[in-house]
Amino acid sequence: MDVAAIDAIVSKFPEIKGNLIGILHEVQNHFHYLPEEELRYLSKKTDIPITQIYSIVNFYNRFSLKPKGKNEICVCLGTACHVKGAEKVMNALEENLHIQKGQSTEDMNFSLEEVRCIGACSLAPAVVINEETYGLVTPNKIPLLLSKHKDG
Amino acid sequence: MASMVNLTINDKEVQAPEGMTILEAAKREGIFIPTLCHHEALEPEGTCRLCIVEISGAIRHSIRISCIQQVKEGLIVETDTERIKKNRRLILELLLGRSPYSKELLDLASKCGVMTSRFLTGESDDCVRCGRCVRVCRDKIGVQALCWVNRGYERKITTDFERLSEYCIGCGACAQVCPTGAIKIEDRGNERKIYTWGQVLARFKLEKCKECGRPYAPKKYLDRINERAYKTKGLELVNYVCPECVKKAERPTPVKMPFGGGDMPFAI
Ligand code: SF4
Ligand code: FES
Ligand code: FES
Repeated sequence: MDVAAIDAIVSKFPEIKGNLIGILHEVQNHFHYLPEEELRYLSKKTDIPITQIYSIVNFYNRFSLKPKGKNEICVCLGTACHVKGAEKVMNALEENLHIQKGQSTEDMNFSLEEVRCIGACSLAPAVVINEETYGLVTPNKIPLLLSKHKDG
Repeated sequence: MASMVNLTINDKEVQAPEGMTILEAAKREGIFIPTLCHHEALEPEGTCRLCIVEISGAIRHSIRISCIQQVKEGLIVETDTERIKKNRRLILELLLGRSPYSKELLDLASKCGVMTSRFLTGESDDCVRCGRCVRVCRDKIGVQALCWVNRGYERKITTDFERLSEYCIGCGACAQVCPTGAIKIEDRGNERKIYTWGQVLARFKLEKCKECGRPYAPKKYLDRINERAYKTKGLELVNYVCPECVKKAERPTPVKMPFGGGDMPFAI
């Protein structure tokens, strides 16, 4: 268990109770998911019941209890993107990465998720990889997109 | 004393203290409003929506939930209009969609004239997502062993990481306040189990009664009583005697037992 990482994250926040979601974001970014042991430690350290933390973690899509790949790919399947063929983009990604949505590649390089409307409808279909948004994505652009992030 | 306000409920002029909910005021007048998630000992959360009433007068004409809406001077409350009945039937149908075999729900439904549901889901977990169990554990017992997970249709109550709870003390308050029996508590031999339709939430070994030798309560639970009811008063629970033996001895009950002994655990 990485106690030091949790300690370091928590110490960045002057106030704990109101910042739980912020803390969880940092933990998620650090580990690429929210490991159970670390969350239990966080609960003991902050005196926030683990059930409360677990509830919050379950509520938001952004948080994951399963390890995620280094590069997180989010395919928008919101209305606009759906109409513009996001399903095909998703399929192409699944084929290229040999995984299903919701899973991560074996080398933990990529994970694939679906999201709903990221507010880039005019660029539909949209895909977000890590912090970067790509618009007007077509299935044949997928290999290029992936190679850009392969070792990043 | 709180000052009184005047309002009408179903054409009857009534008085109620400020701060009281419509539901309480109606009850005092003997007017029945169906409820599910409301429990006298718990803070209302307004999750089931069954207790809807139509209001006008002091507040814009609208439908509100009576377990949360407070009385107000000049308020006109109707508990049984066509509009209310129609909406209530819809809510019941929706609740039945997931819990079609819950006896309590079926009773309420037939009282309100609902025979079937258009929303059957194929699932039947009896839990109506009222949250009473979560609230009693958090607000009254102070343990918070239960929590909500997921959203929408997937929403359910569980423990942290859906494992056997380390925090549960085995008091059984959740099972006791559950309106439909979706959470159960079961003592068998010297083991207590608390479980729902799909998960065992906690297991305990039961301590034996010093008098009759019957296994009757988990250690964690007794420790809790010690800590909260006794130690604060400078006392310590030393005689581990089950409620039955306490009764037999005609001594005043030292602590009210929530399970196996009758009374609510709110005395802890
Ligand atoms: S288990 Fe019972 S008390 Fe808990 S939410 Fe479901 S119906 Fe309500
Ligand atoms: S629907 Fe995809 S960005 Fe809005
Ligand atoms: S009793 Fe009022 S919303 Fe459930």
